[in-house]
Amino acid sequence: MTVAAAEPPRAPLAQRLGTHLASYGGFIPAIVLLGLFFLVPLGIVVCYSFWETIDYSVVHHWTLDNYHYFFSVSAYVTTMWATLWVALVSTAIAIGLAFPFAYWLSRYVPRRLRLPLLVLVIVPFWTSYLLRVYSWLTILGEKGVLNRLLQWTGITHHPLSVFLYDRPAVILVLVYLYFPFGALTLYSSLERFDWNQLRAAMDLGASPLQAIVRILVPQIRPGLITAIIFVFIPILGEYLTPQIVGGTGGVMIGNLIVNFFQAAEYTRGAAVSLLIAAFIVGLLAVFRKSLSSADAYGA
Amino acid sequence: MARDLEVLSTRARISRALLGGYALAIYVFLFAPIVLLVLFSFNANRYGTFPITGWTLTWYRQAFDDYQVHDAVVTTLKVGLQVTVVSTLVGTAAAFPLVRSRLPFREGIRILFILPIMIPGLLIGVALLVLFTSTFHWTLSPETAVIGQSVYTTPFVILLVAARLQGFDRALERAAADLGANAFERLRRIVMPLILPAVFAGALFAFTLSLDEFIITYFLIGGHNTLPIFIYTQVKFGITPEVNAVASMLLAGSLLLLAVAFGMPQFVRVVRRAFLHARVA
Repeated sequence: MTVAAAEPPRAPLAQRLGTHLASYGGFIPAIVLLGLFFLVPLGIVVCYSFWETIDYSVVHHWTLDNYHYFFSVSAYVTTMWATLWVALVSTAIAIGLAFPFAYWLSRYVPRRLRLPLLVLVIVPFWTSYLLRVYSWLTILGEKGVLNRLLQWTGITHHPLSVFLYDRPAVILVLVYLYFPFGALTLYSSLERFDWNQLRAAMDLGASPLQAIVRILVPQIRPGLITAIIFVFIPILGEYLTPQIVGGTGGVMIGNLIVNFFQAAEYTRGAAVSLLIAAFIVGLLAVFRKSLSSADAYGA
Repeated sequence: MARDLEVLSTRARISRALLGGYALAIYVFLFAPIVLLVLFSFNANRYGTFPITGWTLTWYRQAFDDYQVHDAVVTTLKVGLQVTVVSTLVGTAAAFPLVRSRLPFREGIRILFILPIMIPGLLIGVALLVLFTSTFHWTLSPETAVIGQSVYTTPFVILLVAARLQGFDRALERAAADLGANAFERLRRIVMPLILPAVFAGALFAFTLSLDEFIITYFLIGGHNTLPIFIYTQVKFGITPEVNAVASMLLAGSLLLLAVAFGMPQFVRVVRRAFLHARVA
């Protein structure tokens, strides 16, 4: 409607409407789908987070109680910080592992082998997310491969349960899950880097590390930021990994949200959801430039 | 090409060798869990672990005879097909104005279209749960799961088709118009054949994502099971070789789709263009 009004009048109304329908009509189904089933529910969650639940029913009474409640329970606040910590550490490790890999792929691998090797990285990513979490149970569990190996080599005599059901297991699996994302994003950025610049820097006396830090990294910065953000954000909303391999020690904020909703405490769950959503949208807004920059993917 | 033939110093050779070994270790890390999963599904050992006590198809037979697995497979395929149809149609339609119109809020709409990919599925799941149960008072069913999954898969179709349309020479359409083709003929004879690989890639993406989707489905499907939900409910009771067998079959399904996709050169080109060389937001 605003669309039609914004255009200067040129042709008869019916004809103009026809043209607009032809130009913009394609948006209608998507706007209905994503508006009604994405924006509206998010809006409802925002409202719920400021309403009250009394006797299992939601009362439209504006209040900050849900937020007060969340921040008054120390276990929840601890979980929130733990989630941020786990997300930071996992992102750092995943990107730290992905960088040398992407560097190798874009610098030392012959051009015709690059795509197949890249596809090999994506294959696990394409397979089920649940299965990739689940498969670690067969490795880290009490009867898992790691314990069998330790017993077989005589390092221990009893199965150890320390590998699973705590924060390190969660971090390991998260790194495993999100490494391909980091590698793919970094590769697409490094692929466009002119390696002669690195050689020139070293000819001028820079050590390889200096050359990478001072010449390479600044140039791929948008790609690096994109990789970090794209790994960090989904980890914040993780539910399945802590649920399956985390035990009580590895609980993340996603598990809290699910617990609230399963206990029909919709308004409290909504408040926690909104905290995460607001944080994510904030991150996206702050790093908007890097994310939308053509350089990130070297358009 | 010149880069491949470059004469490397000794130090560069060493770093190349070290990084090569490192990359190999990364591939082992990426594939070991999946390979073990499949290995144990053929292992006679009923704890689903080492040692390998013999090879068997028992677990697969058990899985095939399990009516719960049957139901889950049927639901998964039904939901997957519906999601594919919805997101392919909606996504393709939306890609046109996104690329071609000069809408004042095009940036806003673009962000709306990308956001469902960026926001964790968990939040989409709970938000829709509230909408469906508290606001609409709907009963949860595979259909509500279809809606939820479509919210998440449609943006992928939009991205793929939009990337293809961006590289589309509009002179072809003008030429067809000059030669007397009407809008419908232009769409059918010029535009559709050119964007078809992207539409197909989008459909394949949507189907695969739907096949494996867990968290949104978990909240919205009510009493029904898709394969991932079924596996999850089983994992609560510990891992069994039967679950390994079901998991391996799901894996085989995804890989088959991937092989089909990458067997087609157009698919590779379209996906490369959309995800490696396109703007994100």
